[in-house]
Order: sequence, then structure tokens, then C-alpha cells
Amino acid sequence: MIDRLKDLWLHRELLFNMTRKELKVKYKRSVLGFVWSFMTPLIMLAVFSLVFSILSRNKYMSWFVVYLMAGLFPWLFFVNSLMQSVGSVVGNPGLVKKVYFPREVLPLGAVGANIFHFIMQMMILLVFLIIIGWHFSILILYLPLVMLLEIVLTTGLSLFISAANVYLRDVQHFTEVATMAWFWLCPIVYTIGTVAGVLGRYFKLYLLNPMTNIVEIYQYIIYNPRVYAAQSYVKGPTRQPPVVYLSFWGITGTIVGSILLLVFGYYYFIRKDRGFAEQI
Amino acid sequence: MASEYAVEIKDVSKMFKLYHENVRSLKEKVLFFNKRGYEEFWALQDIDIQVKPGETLGIIGANGSGKSTLLKLMTRILYPTTGQVITNGTIAALLELGAGFQPDLTGRENVYLNASILGFSKKEVDKRFDEIVAFAEMERFIDNHVRNYSSGMYIRLGFAVAINVDPDLLIIDEVLAVGDEAFQRKCLDRIGEIQDTGKTIVFVTHNVEVTREICSRVVMIDQGRIVKEGQPREVVNYYHQFMESEEEGRERGNRRIEVTGVLLLNDQDKVVKDFHTGDNMRIRVAYRANEPVEDPVFGFSIDDYRGYTAYGTNTRLKGLNLGTVSGEGYVDFDLKALPMLDGRYLVSVAIHSRDEQTEYHWLEKLFPFDMHSDITEDVGLLYIPSDVTVHPAPEGADGP
Repeated sequence: MIDRLKDLWLHRELLFNMTRKELKVKYKRSVLGFVWSFMTPLIMLAVFSLVFSILSRNKYMSWFVVYLMAGLFPWLFFVNSLMQSVGSVVGNPGLVKKVYFPREVLPLGAVGANIFHFIMQMMILLVFLIIIGWHFSILILYLPLVMLLEIVLTTGLSLFISAANVYLRDVQHFTEVATMAWFWLCPIVYTIGTVAGVLGRYFKLYLLNPMTNIVEIYQYIIYNPRVYAAQSYVKGPTRQPPVVYLSFWGITGTIVGSILLLVFGYYYFIRKDRGFAEQI
Repeated sequence: MASEYAVEIKDVSKMFKLYHENVRSLKEKVLFFNKRGYEEFWALQDIDIQVKPGETLGIIGANGSGKSTLLKLMTRILYPTTGQVITNGTIAALLELGAGFQPDLTGRENVYLNASILGFSKKEVDKRFDEIVAFAEMERFIDNHVRNYSSGMYIRLGFAVAINVDPDLLIIDEVLAVGDEAFQRKCLDRIGEIQDTGKTIVFVTHNVEVTREICSRVVMIDQGRIVKEGQPREVVNYYHQFMESEEEGRERGNRRIEVTGVLLLNDQDKVVKDFHTGDNMRIRVAYRANEPVEDPVFGFSIDDYRGYTAYGTNTRLKGLNLGTVSGEGYVDFDLKALPMLDGRYLVSVAIHSRDEQTEYHWLEKLFPFDMHSDITEDVGLLYIPSDVTVHPAPEGADGP
């Protein structure tokens, strides 16, 4: 594994170039090109703001759209990375069968391109918040760390599914439906408080989902619920639980689990990649 | 531990699983889920090759003999089922030119991407960028999208990148067959330059004559095993004989007149297979007319292995009119002082009508013979008697 990491380091420029290629090819032949990488989140922000200023009458929360975006952008990074990396090896037979290079460059390049988009989106969101005079929590300084945690989790999973997909193409289709279901298992468009009430003693199970914990941290440090959903912290008619809930064990588990997943994902990938050229 | 060889292949075998894909129904799919039956196919068996640094090794063999699999093992695209492949130094493999070119990026961007796929840094490419573009003759188009390139441009650029990035070991698979003749020549020249700098080259081709030209050693593979290894000339000749014995006789025609035998005779009217430069040769064609045939033409040609005809003629070209032929007989073609140097040649014999519209009996390249020469210093295909005289210009003169 150390040798493989050295080899990867030697090919760091390839990784960089692959990431750039993914970005460039994505906007091929479009007039606006790179502008789209911040137009997309900007338009999403505008549409959701409009929709929720009309629809949402949540008496516990103000600025629901910010709560939504704080969870949605990280989720989009997660799911887009998975969807792009799962087919990254299978989708490049011309390279895999004809040239040697560390194959992990393919899924890592896909994740890398999405990291770039993710950073753009988060910056757009922060700029938007600064413009509207958002009351930031000091915890916002943790943002890079949370993003790093999410990247570790995403990379580990991407390595695993991209290698597994070579041997069992069902993985690609499974990922598609699984992420769709997974989305509703995370408190992104609803608040964790609503499920806490419904799930009762199974709530602990719900917290096993690493993306739930990660999304919760984003919401906590960006949305700043102590200011914008203060009522939920005081008391509600039926002791409504807080809008954002940070679980110590949940977060610790997520950190440890993500690192283990990255190690395992990479290990699995380099165990399997010798057969790639034959299987594609 | 570093090996003293650039490439060391130790007792390598490679097995592919050929899966039976013809699962018909869903029921079968469920029953045999992921347990599809397969046959073992051994693409390579017990291969041992050592390539010394600075050597140019050629690998030849028929289609499907395992050449490409062997190269893929060297480049770590495939891994051996048993045995070991050890390589030292950076490798550039030209298994397919322009592998990984992105149609939607420009030529310039693709040069950098392709070079980094081969494992070379931006700095190294920066230094050689102009050289690469000049080699590919692509100055005008380098900032165009690759999707608009012609196939020739695509290949030239791919080759230029791979060959200019200065690897320790260059692996070339069958890629010289593409491109026009001038570019092929240029590639061979460039390969020669790389050889001069002491780099190791492994070279696979169907065009076995090229290996004679550039390789210091040749390995021949057949059905996954090494069948011959050694000096290029020796191995290439063996290859030709080998391919010949594999071939079915190529005969055609309606056989109203048949060739019943062809003999290659020397001055003593003895049948021989070996001739020396300057020898005379008599090609005797025995025939039998199964029915009387009006005005047939007897002809022959001598071709070398690249398919170039060294010489050929027939009775019509020689101004003979045979009239109506019936019964048996033979025709002698007397060739005086064969000028060819070393090599293997093939004789074709034909009987056809005067307008060549009707073929009575045509035997294509069925009669081989070998040329030998004592002249080893001269180069070329033919011996041309020549003298040299030197005439220094007298002092003060302007030359001829």
C-alpha cells in the first residue's frame, strides 16, 4: 500500500490533469463554460428562496432556505462524486486497456472535479449570506474541517464502488437507487427533530448514518440555529426537539468510520485493480 | 532488489477465462448467478525473456500468438497468472497511439494530458513541447480540438508525444503500420536515435522485415510459447518458413492446362533450393493439356517476402506464340546471373490466355528458394557490379 501511495505521488500531475480534464469536458462546447459551475448553485439558491418564502410557514425556523442549502450542497457533492466515480474505471476502457497508470487516478479525478464544484458552491453560499447580513456563528471556522471529513468519506466509498463496479456492473445501478433512498434518510429537506419524534427509541439507529451526522454539522455551523431557530431550543407545545441535533457518538463514529472506509476502500481498490484490463 | 535487466520475465504464464455468455433465460441467470461457466485459455505459457539495458528486442508471431499480451504484461496493464515480470525505469508504451486523447480538448491540452498519463511532468513536456509539435508536423492545428483531427494527425501526435518524452524503456506495438511512408521513415529514424542514446526498446510487429532492420535480437512466439530466439536474420527466416508451412497452397484456374511440376534447376540441371548471387537459374514448368488449348501464355514471377516482385515475365512478353497446345511438355525459363543478395524468394507460375482473362492454372508463390551471397559488406537487395574511382579537384579549380 505504501508503494502504491508512492506511485500515486509520482503520478500526482496526472491526477491533477485528470481533474482538470473532468472539469473541462463537463463544460465542453457550452458558451458559458466555467460560469456554469457557479451559475448552477446561484440559480438553485434563487429558486429555493422564492419557493420557500411562499410555501414555508415554519414557526420555529426563519430562513429555511439557508438551512436547506447548508445540507443540500454537501449532499450534492456526495452523490455527484459517487455517481461519477462509480463508472470512472468502466467508462475508460481505452485508457485502462492500453496504458499503465495508477488506476485510482480515475475515481480520484472524478471526486476531485466535484471537490472543485463543491468549494465553488460553498463560497457562493457564504457570499450570499454575507450580503444578506447573516449572523454567523464562530463555529463557521470549522467548515474546512467538515468538508475534509466529508471528502474522506466520499473518497473511500468512491474507490470501493468504482472497483466493485468493474466486477459487478449492478453496482452502478444500485448506487443510483441507493443514493436516492439515502437522500431521504438524511435530514436535508426536513429537520431531524421531526424524525426524532416519529422514531422514538429507534432514533439511535437513524444516527448511524454518517451523512446524517455530517449534514447536521454543516447545518449547525452554517445555519446557526441558536439564532435562527431559537424557539426550538426553548420549548415547544410538545417539547419539539431542536432543529439541529449533534450527537457526540454519532460524530465520533462518523470520523472513525470515514477514515476506516478510506483505508478499506483504497485497499480493496488496489487488491482488485490488477484484473481491471481483463474485465472491462 | 534491482535487477540487472531492463525487463525480466521469469517463467510467466497468463490464463484468460473465457466465460460462456449465452445464458438464455432469467431462470438460468438466477440459478447460475455469478457462476457462469468458463474455459481456461492460456495466452502465454512458460515465457522467459531477459532484456538487457540498451538492447532492442523484437517480438514476432502470427495473429493471436500472444505478442500483445506479452507487451501488456511488461507494461503492467495485465498481470501474470503465474511467474514474475520485473521492470526497471520509466516505461512509455505505444500500445495504441493517442490512447486517452480527449476529443473535446485541444491538441495542446492533450499533449500534456497524454504525457502525464505516460508519467511525465509538465516541466518535462514544456521543454519538449515544440519538438513534439514539430515532429508531428502539427504547428497549424495544435490549438484545435482533437475531435476535428484527421486520423493521420491523431496518430502522428500520439506517436510524437510518446516518443519524445524520453522514457528508459520504450514499448512499441504494431503502431508503425499507420501513417504515411514518410512518417514511418521518420519514426524509424527517431527509433534509431533513441537506440543511439542507449535506451531499451521492445518492439512488436507483423512487418518482420522491420525487425531485421532495427532489432538486435528477436523472439518468435507461437501459440503462447517461445519457439525461436536469437539473431534477427535467423529468426525472421525461421518465421517465414514457419508461416509457409502453415499456409494452404494457393492455386486457382480452370485447369484446361495444368502445371504438373515446377523445378528450380542450377547450371548442372540439378534441383536445388539454394542459389548464390551471380548463379544462373532455370525454372522448368512441366504441363499437361487436358484438352487442346489455343494460344496459352506461360509465365513466372519471383517475389520477395514483402510482396515486391523482383522479376517476372512470360512467353507473350518474350514474343513467343505457342499456337494450339495439346498433350504434355515443359517450358524452361533461363535466368542468367541472379543479382539478388541474401534473402528468401518465392516463385509463382501461371498459365493463362493471351488476354489474361482466362486463368488455366495459377500457382501463387508456391516455390521458395534462398539466395546467398558472399558479399556481406554491401547493403541492399541487389548486387550491382561497381567500381569506385576518386578524382580530387586540382588546386584552384572550381570543381566539375
